Amino acid sequence: MKYVLFTASLLFALPLQAAENISAVGSTTVLPVISQAAAVFHTAHPDVNILVSGGGSGVGVAAMIQGTAQLGMASRDISPEENVKLKGKIENIVIASDAVAVVVSKAVYLSGVHALSLTHIADIYLGKIRNWKELGGADSRILVIDKEASRGTRHVFAKAVLGSAHARAAGASIISGSNNEEQSIISRSNNAIGMLSNAWLNDQVRGVDVIVDGKAIAPTIEHVRDGSYPIARGLHVLLPKNASKNTHDFVHFLLSHDGQAIVKKVGYLPVR
Amino acid sequence: MAWHHFLHPLKLFIFLGCFIAALSIFILLGFLIQSSLPFWQAFGITSLWGKEWYPYESLYGFLPAIVGTIWALIIAMLIAVPCGVSAAIVSSEMLSPAWRNMARIGMEVLAGIPSVVYGLIGLWVLLPFLQHSLDLLTGHNLLAAGIILSLMILPTIMVMSQDALQAVSAEQRESAMNLGLNENQCLYRVLLPQAWSGIRSGMLLALGRALGETMAVMLVVGSMDRLPQPFYNILEPAQTLTSRIGREMGEAAFGSLHFSALMGCALILAIIAMALSLFAYQKQTTS
Repeated sequence: MKYVLFTASLLFALPLQAAENISAVGSTTVLPVISQAAAVFHTAHPDVNILVSGGGSGVGVAAMIQGTAQLGMASRDISPEENVKLKGKIENIVIASDAVAVVVSKAVYLSGVHALSLTHIADIYLGKIRNWKELGGADSRILVIDKEASRGTRHVFAKAVLGSAHARAAGASIISGSNNEEQSIISRSNNAIGMLSNAWLNDQVRGVDVIVDGKAIAPTIEHVRDGSYPIARGLHVLLPKNASKNTHDFVHFLLSHDGQAIVKKVGYLPVR
Repeated sequence: MAWHHFLHPLKLFIFLGCFIAALSIFILLGFLIQSSLPFWQAFGITSLWGKEWYPYESLYGFLPAIVGTIWALIIAMLIAVPCGVSAAIVSSEMLSPAWRNMARIGMEVLAGIPSVVYGLIGLWVLLPFLQHSLDLLTGHNLLAAGIILSLMILPTIMVMSQDALQAVSAEQRESAMNLGLNENQCLYRVLLPQAWSGIRSGMLLALGRALGETMAVMLVVGSMDRLPQPFYNILEPAQTLTSRIGREMGEAAFGSLHFSALMGCALILAIIAMALSLFAYQKQTTS
């Protein structure tokens, strides 16, 4: 009997001192910052668990509209249609900026494709250029990677390159989802082109320079800072107006000195 | 019958369970119909053979995903049926009981592996292999989806076929031997015809599983909403109904036409799956 009472009291005690769970949903570009910040925040506030999951900016905004998460992540601006649906329910806070790099497989880069103009990139995505030979590379077909329509990176890239966030890419050969998925497809191919945040570049996945007015601009944080890189964007967190105090504190932490240090460590440009 | 018969706790429990099981089917269908209704009202049944799917331009053509789904199923069945039935024949008729059990356990393990694992195996092993051996731009295609699906439905076909073969009575086998039939004749004239209805149900069940598989297919099919060009080209990235739902459901706002259209995809899948089950049931009862 004693044992039963003890177990029962445990069961009742649990919810009393239970941690607050905050779920953050959305862009996989913003995700590394939020998950690293969540780990740091948790050590200072052991009673707050921040659960981070991806899905894409569109999923983050949808979660805010439907009220299914406590924090949204988006790597693009909110569209006018979404703003109507949000009815001013959220505060949109920019915590960092980054460059959407035009990335190619290592083999493509080594074969001599180091810089592309926006017109070239558009022609690739529209299916007008289908072979790397036409751009000074090896004689091989181009594996054109497009992203799911819900992805923020897709919005920003298509707007800058094709003129509208939802423009069709007739030249696309394959659709990928998260940054990780796209990164792995590019690294396993010898002739791929895609779009990724500058923080996801590595030896296998190389960013090419974008030619603006005859000048090749590399997708680096410096060029985002001086505004010369043409496909740059803000990384947002979406904070519901009725969010808990802990959620507010977490967003404050993201904007604090320590939070911005994490932004820098991940590879993005801090906002302050 | 007196009421107290029904009020017996065990009976009550059984009736309740049965009622819930039956009800859940109707709730599911009702939900799918209700949530996809706005889409059918706005775009009509002609969307079924529309060729373009661009939700942002209000173009909802189902044909590419339907064709992709059918191709993936055909490829999966072409591989899994011969392999599964042969494996069942070998393990049921040629192996000793100890080895037969080993084969069966192996198949059951295969059936228990989560689908995302199959998807990752496909992503890391199958795709590079296809890409290099067939000299393709990318390994993501319908063939890859079909091969992964065939692995996933192999256990169902093999286990059900094995059961069906084992169920052929000893008298039948003995009579066949007494008539002087050799092993091949016995297999083709006696065992397979006798076991056919069980094997067929296994195939239809497997087809149902392949139809609904999402995760593994989504990872390898390429998710490109475009009709194969020409229609028998299974070496280009394509789309299936399940992979489309998996890719787009997160973003589609609840209640929007896009959401409703995805529910339409789900309704098509549900109707095909139910038709398959009904077909399997009817064949089993008539034969």
